[in-house]
Amino acid sequence: MSAATKILTRDFELGHLHRIETYLDRGGYRAVRKALLEWKPEQVMDEVKKASLRGRGGAGFPAGVKWSFVPQKTDKPKYLCVNADEGEPGTFKDRYILAHDPHLLIEGTIIAAYAVGIHLAYIYIRGEYELIARRLEEALAEAGAKGYVGRNILGTGFDLDVFVHRGAGAYICGEETGLLESLEGKRGHPRLKPPFPASVGLFQSPTVINNVETLANVPFIVLNGAAWFLEQGQAKDGGTRIFGVSGAVNRPGIYELPVGTSLRQIIFENAGGLKPGRTLKAVIPGGMSSPILLPEEIDVTMDCDSVAAAGSMLGSGGIIVIDDRTPIMNVLAKVAKFYAHESCGQCTPCRLGTSWIHKIVKRMAAGKGKADDVDTLIRLASNIKARTLCPLGDAAAMPIAAIAKKFRTELEPAMKGSA
Amino acid sequence: MVKIVLDGQPLEVAEGTTVFKAAQQAGVAIPHFCYHPAFVPEGSCRLCLVAIEGSPKLELACSTVVREGMKVATQSPAVRAARRGVLEFLLAEHPLDCPICDKAGECKLQDYYQEYGLTESVFREFKEKRDKKVRIGAKLILDRERCVLCTRCVRFLAEITKTSELGVFERGIHSEVGLYEDEPVRSGYSGNLVDLCPVGAITDTEFRFKTRPWFLTKGESVCPLCSRGCNIFVDYHPGFPRVPGSAKVYRVRPRTNEAVNGPWICDFGRYGLVEMQRTNRSDKLVWNKGDRPTELSWNKVLTVIGERIKSLRERESAGGVSLILTSWLTNEELYLVKRIFKDGLGAAHISFADPVPGPADGFLLRAERSPNRRGAEEMGFDLRPPDVEVLARDTRILFVFGPHLAGAPGGGAWKKALDKIPVKVLVTSHLNELAAAADFVLPSAFITEKSGTLTNGDGRVQRIAAVARACADVRPETQILIDLAREIRLGDGALDALDGPDSVYRLLAKDISFFGGRP
Repeated sequence: MSAATKILTRDFELGHLHRIETYLDRGGYRAVRKALLEWKPEQVMDEVKKASLRGRGGAGFPAGVKWSFVPQKTDKPKYLCVNADEGEPGTFKDRYILAHDPHLLIEGTIIAAYAVGIHLAYIYIRGEYELIARRLEEALAEAGAKGYVGRNILGTGFDLDVFVHRGAGAYICGEETGLLESLEGKRGHPRLKPPFPASVGLFQSPTVINNVETLANVPFIVLNGAAWFLEQGQAKDGGTRIFGVSGAVNRPGIYELPVGTSLRQIIFENAGGLKPGRTLKAVIPGGMSSPILLPEEIDVTMDCDSVAAAGSMLGSGGIIVIDDRTPIMNVLAKVAKFYAHESCGQCTPCRLGTSWIHKIVKRMAAGKGKADDVDTLIRLASNIKARTLCPLGDAAAMPIAAIAKKFRTELEPAMKGSA
Repeated sequence: MVKIVLDGQPLEVAEGTTVFKAAQQAGVAIPHFCYHPAFVPEGSCRLCLVAIEGSPKLELACSTVVREGMKVATQSPAVRAARRGVLEFLLAEHPLDCPICDKAGECKLQDYYQEYGLTESVFREFKEKRDKKVRIGAKLILDRERCVLCTRCVRFLAEITKTSELGVFERGIHSEVGLYEDEPVRSGYSGNLVDLCPVGAITDTEFRFKTRPWFLTKGESVCPLCSRGCNIFVDYHPGFPRVPGSAKVYRVRPRTNEAVNGPWICDFGRYGLVEMQRTNRSDKLVWNKGDRPTELSWNKVLTVIGERIKSLRERESAGGVSLILTSWLTNEELYLVKRIFKDGLGAAHISFADPVPGPADGFLLRAERSPNRRGAEEMGFDLRPPDVEVLARDTRILFVFGPHLAGAPGGGAWKKALDKIPVKVLVTSHLNELAAAADFVLPSAFITEKSGTLTNGDGRVQRIAAVARACADVRPETQILIDLAREIRLGDGALDALDGPDSVYRLLAKDISFFGGRP
């Protein structure tokens, strides 16, 4: 990895980066000054649109377009929710940004709020990130003391309050409407869409929900321009991605690389390849909900559209590498258990489908599989896919179906006996 | 208006209509559990998915609003497959205890399985074990194994009664409906949860294990327990020959009428009506002659009473006949009383004894606990309670309709007064201490057992139909009054031509303009 490609993680090696003094020394809050003092909100929004900044949370929706859905004229307050409920298994990128460089997120938050005309932002952070949450609160206090958050920011008359809200550990609260319900103090049950949060969101008001990494990119787009940002990545998918590589590699960790870097390069060069004597069995490319890829499929370039074309998804960029030492049955069991455990239970196919799948997989893992179990898994997954209230159904169905289809031969010994 | 195409048929519906309602207007039923017209769509059961041209996924009929030119398929293979998928999931964990389930026969899960499912079960796993008998209200039992988590019960209490006693607890497969801190459902509308439940998860202790829905005949009537006049179904065993024994009412359910009660009724009416239909019924014609009561035939008793009235007319021109009425009488019955006793006989006193008003609940239940006071008012009656002393002084023959005089304020004053009146005729559907004080007790039909009309507090004239007959000796007041009029020979030709409530109403509508329009 060349040092030049690092944008978000450029200063992560510095000590005390989370302190505002360090951040300011490194040129921090220049983007806020530029945006608020020199640009109109529309200009900021246009620039982010042009930059093709796609959501880093998993769905890959262009952030600028999302902002533009918020009605300009409304008699309700508008809200910005920062989704820091990083819960997708295999994903651990946002925590690095939050822990090392909380002011970068705050700066992105201020600019996004300014672009959309928002005066109240919530950072919904997963409860397990306690140290990080405290760091964020300290950083917010520092930013407030320096006049970057609060009333009349930089004398522009623009006000913004930012609050940190801790989640209680449910995967579903990372789903944007589940997050809103949770933030309102209710059960984290996703809402029926439409209406979409941009028109009816938090407290029935227009709301923007962005991932941490997405917002962290915004200051750089303001400082360097959309054209520069696109140069760092792909034409329809600008900038870099922070890939979190875990599993059977020599150097697991986070790697900030241009959007469009090949998966093979990330695994075998950046992450140092597999341990000696091991062979690659499979790769989960974008968090656990992304369909599993076989070794022959890893030449895919890591941008939203290419990974989708390869039958999986870039998702959160959490790459899980599986080698020949791991029985695929164990992977299947983990996936099935996770989604059955995290299904909120609201809609029928997800509540009962994930549980049924989990029961079958448990039985298979216990050596009591039947000849038609794999077919049943595939059929049940297809009865969940695209029929649930929120994306959790798809998130559960896709990896199950992919594992069952691609590893049928390996799973077959688990299925003795007749139907 | 918006033009759409539904299953190949062009259809025009109002702007803002959902696909579900558009289909309904076209007579196309879309299966559903969580959707209910009175609630905000929740979209959780996923059974109402339909195909909309141009949409990559199936969409919810319950919440998708029609757009100009929208092409909807409600029966495409993909749609049917999706329905089958949802039903397969629900049935996999369902206890399948239909043989002992009160809902069997009118269960949506059964119906939809017949229509869309009919799949072989491939579920080999252990079903979740859940509580099967949770008392969640005075008359409500929750069976969590049968529950499909449509949350209609939860949303009824949240959106309609705003009491929110129920919630969903736990998550995923462990999700369950439950009470907060075990505080039971105290809403006065709890019975609606049983009707709302599409499966047998919430059952009614009053109905549980008593009969099967397919034995029941569903009669349409109006609840008499307050002046709201909620439209109801009265579900009853018709008796012999369909089932052994006499007819019996098993339950009362709301019959949707948006102008009166919407889709709900209160527990006071629901349970009160069944209880009243069953208990303390007056079912024998009795003549308290001397010390021992004698049972008579209708012909004999009407002749005897008719003779008394005729002889009184011959002796005393001032009348001497008085009546204590009740506004539990139908418009037709009240009109007959007016025509026979007020206009024909020039009755000395006509007063009313009605149930004492109770508290109104701000929703459906009103303070006035009689079904037809408005009708009586429109008929020109003075609804004052009787002045029993004046009554005793002027009256030779007293007719008392209904049992409510016994509960009238003033304690037992009516008893002393009645002692002074030579002939007392009680026409009642229910027995109480009044019966002992009367000379003749004529068993009359209860509100669910007679036909006619009632005028609710808002002046809405509503039909009731005879849906159940308690016993062979019981007669509706309409018939008693028509027969009595013939006995007395008043010389009112119009009365002689009457043959039932419909003919009475025609006469009434001609006579009193308020009743001019047909109900």
